[in-house]
Amino acid sequence: MSRRNVELLFLVIAGAVSTMAYVSVYAGRFREIDRVSIIYGLIFVAIFFALHLLVRFALPQADPFLLPLTALLAAVGLTEIFRIRPALALTQGQWLLVGAALFVLTVLVVRDHMRLDRYRYLMGALGLALLVVTIVLGTTINGAKLWIHAFGMSIQPSEFAKLAIVVFLAGYLDDKKVMLSVPTRHVLGVPLPAAKYFGPLLVMWVLSLAMLVFMKDFGMALLYMSIFVALMYMATARIAYVVVGGGLFAAAAALAVGIVPHVQDRFDVWLDPWPRAASSGYQLLQSLFTIADGGVLGAGFGRGFLLYANRQPVVPDLQTDFIFAAIANEMGLLGAAGIVLLYLLFMWRGFRIAVFAPDGFSKLLAAGLAFAFGLQTFIILGGVTRLIPLTGITLPFVSYGGSSITANLMLVALLLMVSHRTNVVLGGSDLERRRLAERG
Amino acid sequence: MNRAISRIFVVGAILFVALIANLTWIMVVRAAWFEDRPENKRGIAKELKIKRGELLGFDGSTIAGAVRRSGYYYRDYPQGTLAPQLLGYDSVRYGRSGIEQQLNDVLTGKSTDLGVQSWVDRILGRRPKGADVRLTLVPAVQKVAQKALAGQKGAVVVLDPRTGALIASASAPTYEPAALERRWARLSTDREAPLLDRPTQGLYPPGSAFKVVTAAAALDSGKVTPSTEFVDTGTYVVFGGKVTNYGGAVFGPNDFTTALTYSINTTFARVGNLLARRRLIAAMQRFGFYEVPPLPLPSGEVVASGRYGNKGLLGPDAFMDPLAVAWAACGQEQVLATPLQMALAAAAVANGGRVMKPYYTQEIVSAAGDVVLRAAPEQWLVAMKPATASTLSTMMQRVVNAGTGTAAALEGIQVAGKSGTAERGDGTNLAWFIAFAPADDPRVALAIVIEDTQSTGGELAAPLAGAVLKAALAQPALP
Repeated sequence: MSRRNVELLFLVIAGAVSTMAYVSVYAGRFREIDRVSIIYGLIFVAIFFALHLLVRFALPQADPFLLPLTALLAAVGLTEIFRIRPALALTQGQWLLVGAALFVLTVLVVRDHMRLDRYRYLMGALGLALLVVTIVLGTTINGAKLWIHAFGMSIQPSEFAKLAIVVFLAGYLDDKKVMLSVPTRHVLGVPLPAAKYFGPLLVMWVLSLAMLVFMKDFGMALLYMSIFVALMYMATARIAYVVVGGGLFAAAAALAVGIVPHVQDRFDVWLDPWPRAASSGYQLLQSLFTIADGGVLGAGFGRGFLLYANRQPVVPDLQTDFIFAAIANEMGLLGAAGIVLLYLLFMWRGFRIAVFAPDGFSKLLAAGLAFAFGLQTFIILGGVTRLIPLTGITLPFVSYGGSSITANLMLVALLLMVSHRTNVVLGGSDLERRRLAERG
Repeated sequence: MNRAISRIFVVGAILFVALIANLTWIMVVRAAWFEDRPENKRGIAKELKIKRGELLGFDGSTIAGAVRRSGYYYRDYPQGTLAPQLLGYDSVRYGRSGIEQQLNDVLTGKSTDLGVQSWVDRILGRRPKGADVRLTLVPAVQKVAQKALAGQKGAVVVLDPRTGALIASASAPTYEPAALERRWARLSTDREAPLLDRPTQGLYPPGSAFKVVTAAAALDSGKVTPSTEFVDTGTYVVFGGKVTNYGGAVFGPNDFTTALTYSINTTFARVGNLLARRRLIAAMQRFGFYEVPPLPLPSGEVVASGRYGNKGLLGPDAFMDPLAVAWAACGQEQVLATPLQMALAAAAVANGGRVMKPYYTQEIVSAAGDVVLRAAPEQWLVAMKPATASTLSTMMQRVVNAGTGTAAALEGIQVAGKSGTAERGDGTNLAWFIAFAPADDPRVALAIVIEDTQSTGGELAAPLAGAVLKAALAQPALP
């Protein structure tokens, strides 16, 4: 079976599972439904069918699993958002449409990710600019400054900046990896390369510190710093970068805990939420209670206790950062672990693309994107389950939020491009090779 | 490069496995633990969809009802404030307490006493219906008891001595149950503790009201009879200290009946040492001291009476020197008692020495209208011999007829009682009165305590006790 037919098969399976979930929620609140909700379902199927056709036409040798995984996660997210607040599901559906459009644009405009390497500094500057704009013009929500208001919408530029910065780092590090791995001097026994190669990387470190202090968001700072350290390590295979980077970040974090009250508060709640059960620990504890209530099999879609009598969700921000609590409650341990495995599968496909990719830039790009995706997932899932301190970050494809779903669809587009090129280079037809060469 | 990439993936995969392990921990291993945490109000919120059973008075009137608003049930209180501390609350925000917590399974229809919900009902999503609970509380008496406390701090407990049924239980200051959630911040931090159920959790020095226990021990032991003679000089010197009478009074020669009638401390101090520590403490235990009275309420909502030290209740074997015994026999020293325990003491005398288990559930009526449970009075302890009880009753009648409790006397009904005035050392008194009536066939026993007063038990508590007894005996039916 060709890669595209495998993809189609899995998309059909994802569609069937989604339909069942959707119908279940529909049945759960039968009296409150209208025609709009049926249109959702059709739009959803149409979107992913269209994306499949585009991939079939433009990236025929791309990985067949990423798109079905995306569809399944997006369907679970939409269903759960619809279940928590039906009106928001419509908005989220519209964002999915926007994301799909950007996916198409990314594929058609970029065509081959190798072309992005030429604009690496532009991409780096773009990523930096997005973050600086957030710091300067941002609005503070829930204590963190991650949003800017523009055109009547709230946009979270850090979600897009993430992509730009991974592109930049992949290009830059692939170029300089030899210099970076050859130490010219030792400081405290740690081999260090010449200072000039360190410059842009120090900028990255300062940037993540600035995010911690100005955006007051531990999660984003951790995400960026980790992307940076992981890419350094993957480019140079030098564990020293991980040690130094981890140490620097830990020191910065310890400092930030002392000076940024919001971060300090989150940290205290993580250590012991119980004395703060009615105040700052309320959200986390309600999340844990909601998750624990799911049991092994869960209450079933649309049947969990997620809304109070006044229609307020049992956990504040249930449809965004805490959507996983709702999923665990209704799908149980089996469903929740299943979702975690879907993310792991997604990450595995990403890393697999990186391992097989024929050139350093492609490798670092795919691995960087897969790593960013996986780590973001871990940060929020670990946060809502109290494995790590809680920090407001979206769950890719599932959480309510336009920036998140749009940026992550673009991430899928980039991974598919890398995958397509890899497979063509490794075993594509002559025609495909020629087309690829023409694109570059 | 590939090796480093693989390594990063392995680290990522380990983190994801940790997520699943943690999920298993939360959702399976610790699920029940999370469910039972008091901070977890999900269970209460879910049960809002169940028609919660009503709490009815003994007369069948609704005290705590259930009203439906947009698919959810809420409590309403058609009679306003009626024993809110005992009934407790059922709040999504603040949890449960009192009878609402104790009988939650019955009120929400989950108790297996009500018959098991069939699997057909469960599949069809039919919700269980809560059973109504008819309490032994008599609203008319409860209202009089609350009125007796109006504007003061204290407690009233009214029992049927023959059964142990709780007829009224008032605690002041009080609150309006319908406004609990709105006023929670103030109520829960108020230093006067309006949420505290003083009858079952308020620990007070019982003062001279405790002399009933000392007298029962003395008469039971045979060392003292009602006519045993004593001489009071205003002071009893013992073990390097002294016991004096309230207000410095001197009574001269007195017999034991007179000593109880006028509450002569020096005589009871001498009797205490005649009995010695062991017999006094054993008598207290026979009355129920040193034990949590078996009134079915959530753990911690009924407390034991007895001698208290810095770290809580002392053991019955804790050391006491003769001066301590002397003062303890007068209900001072480190003796603390709840109003419920003191009401049980009065009820023991009224009921021929037998202490009944206190209870408040008259019957449980399932949603289908069947009575699934009816109260069955049970004996708890034997506090004294029947002969002692009868002698002590006569002595307590004299307290009301000629002694410190005359203000409790009722026209046409013989009341037996004992006053108590415990000095708190800060210039304020606790005014006590324990009583039962009619003396020849007791149907009602009570204890009343007023905090923070300048008056004595005989002046302040006795007339209030009389008013509550009168209201209770005027009832056409009592539990």
